[in-house]
Amino acid sequence: MREVVTVQVGGFANFVGSHFWNFQDELLGLADDPGADPVFRNAALDMDALYRAGETQQGVATYCPRLVSVGSRGSLGSLSSSGTLGSSSAAAGHPNILTWSGNVTKSVAKPHDRNLFLQSLSEEEQNTSSSNDRSNAKKSVEDKDLVESLENGVKFWTDYSKVQYHPQSLYELYGSWTNFDKFDNYGTAREVVSEWSQMEELNERLRFFVEECDHIQGIQFIVDDSGGFSSVAAQYLENIADDYTNTPVLLYCVRDPVSHGSSRNQRETIIRTLHDAVSFSKLASSCNLMVPIGQPSLSYLSPLLSIKDEKYFYSSAIFAAAIHSLSVPFRLQHVGPSSELAHSSGNLDIGELMHMLSDQGRQNMVTALDVAMPAPSLTDRTDLRNIQRSLLCLTPEISDEDEDPYAVESLVFHGALGAGGQRASISQVKDTVCSALEGRATKPKFSHLSVSPCPLPVPLPFPSIFSSSIGQHGEILSNDHAEGTRRKGSLDVVSVPMAARLRSSNAIVPFIERRSTSLQRLGMARGALGSQVLRDWGFGREEVEDMGEHLAKMLRPFYPEMDLTSDSD
Amino acid sequence: MSLRVLNPNAEVLNKSAALHMNINAAKGLQDVLKTNLGPKGTIKMLVGGAGDLKLTKDGNTLLKEMQIQNPTAIMIARTAVAQDDTSGDGTTSTVLFIGELMKQSERCIDEGTHPRFLVDGFDVAKRATLEFLEKFKTPVVIGDEPDRDTLKMIARTTLRTKLYEGLADQLTDIVVNAVLCIRRPEEPIDLFMVEIMHMRHKFDVDTRLVEGLVLDHGSRHPDMKRRAENCYILTCNVSLEYEKSEINAGFFYSNAEQREKMVAAERRQVDERVKRIIELKNKVCAGGDKNFVVINQKGIDPPSLDLLARAGIIALRRAKRRNMERLVLACGGEAVNSVDDLTEDCLGWAGLVYEHVLGEEKYTFVENVKNPRSCTILIKGPNDHTIAQIKDAVRDGLRSVKNTVEDEAVVLGAGAFEVAAKKHLIDNVKKTVKGRAQLGVEAFADALLVIPKTLAENSGLDTQDVIVSLQNEHDRGLVVGLNHHSGEPIDPQMEGIFDNYSVKRQIINSGPIIASQLLLVDEVIRAGRNMRKPT
Ligand SMILES: Nc1ncnc2c1ncn2[C@@H]1O[C@H](COP(=O)(O)OP(=O)(O)OP(=O)(O)O)[C@@H](O)[C@H]1O
Ligand SMILES: [Mg+2]
Repeated sequence: MREVVTVQVGGFANFVGSHFWNFQDELLGLADDPGADPVFRNAALDMDALYRAGETQQGVATYCPRLVSVGSRGSLGSLSSSGTLGSSSAAAGHPNILTWSGNVTKSVAKPHDRNLFLQSLSEEEQNTSSSNDRSNAKKSVEDKDLVESLENGVKFWTDYSKVQYHPQSLYELYGSWTNFDKFDNYGTAREVVSEWSQMEELNERLRFFVEECDHIQGIQFIVDDSGGFSSVAAQYLENIADDYTNTPVLLYCVRDPVSHGSSRNQRETIIRTLHDAVSFSKLASSCNLMVPIGQPSLSYLSPLLSIKDEKYFYSSAIFAAAIHSLSVPFRLQHVGPSSELAHSSGNLDIGELMHMLSDQGRQNMVTALDVAMPAPSLTDRTDLRNIQRSLLCLTPEISDEDEDPYAVESLVFHGALGAGGQRASISQVKDTVCSALEGRATKPKFSHLSVSPCPLPVPLPFPSIFSSSIGQHGEILSNDHAEGTRRKGSLDVVSVPMAARLRSSNAIVPFIERRSTSLQRLGMARGALGSQVLRDWGFGREEVEDMGEHLAKMLRPFYPEMDLTSDSD
Repeated sequence: MSLRVLNPNAEVLNKSAALHMNINAAKGLQDVLKTNLGPKGTIKMLVGGAGDLKLTKDGNTLLKEMQIQNPTAIMIARTAVAQDDTSGDGTTSTVLFIGELMKQSERCIDEGTHPRFLVDGFDVAKRATLEFLEKFKTPVVIGDEPDRDTLKMIARTTLRTKLYEGLADQLTDIVVNAVLCIRRPEEPIDLFMVEIMHMRHKFDVDTRLVEGLVLDHGSRHPDMKRRAENCYILTCNVSLEYEKSEINAGFFYSNAEQREKMVAAERRQVDERVKRIIELKNKVCAGGDKNFVVINQKGIDPPSLDLLARAGIIALRRAKRRNMERLVLACGGEAVNSVDDLTEDCLGWAGLVYEHVLGEEKYTFVENVKNPRSCTILIKGPNDHTIAQIKDAVRDGLRSVKNTVEDEAVVLGAGAFEVAAKKHLIDNVKKTVKGRAQLGVEAFADALLVIPKTLAENSGLDTQDVIVSLQNEHDRGLVVGLNHHSGEPIDPQMEGIFDNYSVKRQIINSGPIIASQLLLVDEVIRAGRNMRKPT
């Protein structure tokens, strides 16, 4: 086992993370549950990769995510930053003050109400030791209410989290008088980032988790890069690169659809465009593999899903599912030395993944993410194209073209179902995927496959984003089995077969090119409209040029025949 | 904007509206902070939306916790916080002084005085007060052996404004000794060399100075000793773990055998490094009762830990970057980046190294060092908010001692300076100024009294009585401050109530600058408009 440490920075990143950890928590529960599908027990993923065992000062054993989550002050809702659900007693009572004998004034912020789901969670916690015999009928009624309460009112990512976090995990950034509601571009974080003690605290939190690791395989870093948090993350990543030089960092840049919303005026457009360019350049320069995630709209992504763009709770769920799928190979047991076959199943650690995708084809470290949720059943040969077609791209601004002979890709397939709805065997999945690959017009240079029989579990606090044609185990029902048009959620769908793929290919070129060009045009060209903006963000001329050069360099592997220089015009 | 151009009267209206807005914002912030001031101030308990607690008696912390929206208030808050960044103290006083300058100005403006005159008067008064401060300050001889008593008095004054007396007094020696430990004559004091460490400990409030270092982690091997005496300390930044990525770059295994080979080769390299360390240990510890401790900034993996443990070495991995520097200053030796040329000279020394375990938290104490130039203040408290508040206080205490050493002076506190400066301004300076700018000098002088007034008010005393009696004493040539118990005049010198010279200086400097900007609000706007015009 090799440990993964997870970092989440920013509002939406924590929404994604919350779902991600709910999946893990669900897997932990299912592995112990004799009534659950045995696949969760027999083919369990190695949870120690993501979790750490510890104990409280009172000697109670704990098992918590190896996680540092960074958000803005107040973004934890009713969860206290020590990871425990806020006890209302602190606010009500008079905790004695041991440091001052003089007068005391108390100012109490309005306590955040706990929704039905969180209430039931803490109730359950209190009752764990006592009887387990609540009648099932009664429970399902309750569950329905819980699901409904989440459908209607998720405000914070903590509202639907069922995970117990470690006291070192949750950090709330304060920016003295930084308005986190307007934390919408790279420059807004200056005050926050320059607060030395805050960045130091973030480093310390991470060190706490890394120090414990015997063989850290890498850091999985999720950032909401739509605003000021990408500046926080860039600074954090830079420190990580300094402190843990050889530890690979896999970076997911996640954006909710709403953050793509249209700009009101030219100035705003300039700021947004520059933000995208600067934050991309800065983030890419201190990680090893980058995965931009977040289409401007998810509503029409797939007829099998029904995602409301304006709800973080929804859009973050599918991103979290994809990230979960990609993390499966990091936790598969190692089965002997990896075979020479290009499409072998089996484990792959973060370092190997990053090496494969960014060094095997072109020297390109920005990859596109595709996901099939649910992945189609492996029925017969005529349906092979299905796999290919079912993969939906979550990376924005890329080209549809899929004809790159230098492409390298890594596909993860887990929980695949066979024709009759039974679990497909590993070799069946391998065979099917291999022949699907053979059927492609232009084959990628290199393709890696990881397979696990363990599907994505759907925890109770998962949004109702499935269409009516999804069955209980994530199978796609034929029309006559579909029940009405009602959206389905965790009460109807227990688990879902998943496929996710990372692609390093020229499909990403437009994404990089747009950022490179806009930095040239708005930030560097003579009399550029945005040069003042960049100065306001604290960038000197030289630093802007460095960023421009960095972006141009990222494009070079795609144009080997051209000597592309940054000042070609 | 265009409306203003069309209607000059509207501009006047806006001007005065803006001015009064500024005055109100300044007064508002003053009201929030004034109960904080001094040893009789009020501690604030802030309860967040999830029930989490924060305790503070510090202007700086409180300002940062506040959700300030008003731009004027933000500007004042920034100035006050900047005050804290540079000199570590005086935030509350700064806010009060600015608020009071605005309040005094308001009276004059309402009576028809143009803000310009006030600003001119401020300027004169400020310079005169700074000059007065030079004469008024009490020099402190620092030299090679600074006068501990003075340092203790200043630390005690500061700490007692943040913690109850018993606790403050316990910390007084600690902060003084800490600063003297890290100080080198002729060198600036780097307070980062005082590590502040905390432990959560039920029912226990206790703080102590560790001459040496406390690390917040322990060894990761079951067979390593938990306690050792007479230790050589190797401080290093050397990877003692097998890292695939290092050999991977640009290369993918073509077959299993090759992979195994590469793995073995890399493992050998790591083992080699470990062996070098063991060799040195065997050399220096031969035959004696000496021990060997490795503190590494990089990782150490289990096979390496095994080797080290078998050689009787205690090893810690992933030490904090800053602790590398501190370790060398505490124990001696040097921080090495490679094990190639290890010699005994690279090693530091500690009389005692031991581990302390609290639940899953481990601490390693590196103590009984020779000639430490870095030390640790270890704070124990039952919960996070108590620890945080003590930490803030310790920082203030350290800063006050550092300032004193660097200023080579202190200033009589308890309002003595403010009353004396006011008297000086009224008696000697005001008459040197012509015309209405006198009003500015007077307003400035009155504003200084906000400090003794607020101290009196927070002590539940009658402010007028107190001010009158203080001024009477000063008129009789006695420099007195206020006894916060009785309200009677006291001699701050006798009572050992001192403030930092640099802190006072900065308050006097920045207060009128901000107040002037806020008073001349119209001109600020106009200047801005002019700049935008050419486009
Ligand atoms: N024992 C005392 N009796 C009277 N006045 C005192 C005493 N100790 C300190 N003071 C006065 O209290 C004031 C300092 O109070 P305090 O430390 O609360 O505020 P500050 O330094 O302005 O701001 P902060 O410490 O919050 O940054 C000084 O004017 C000092 O002279
Ligand atoms: Mg103070």
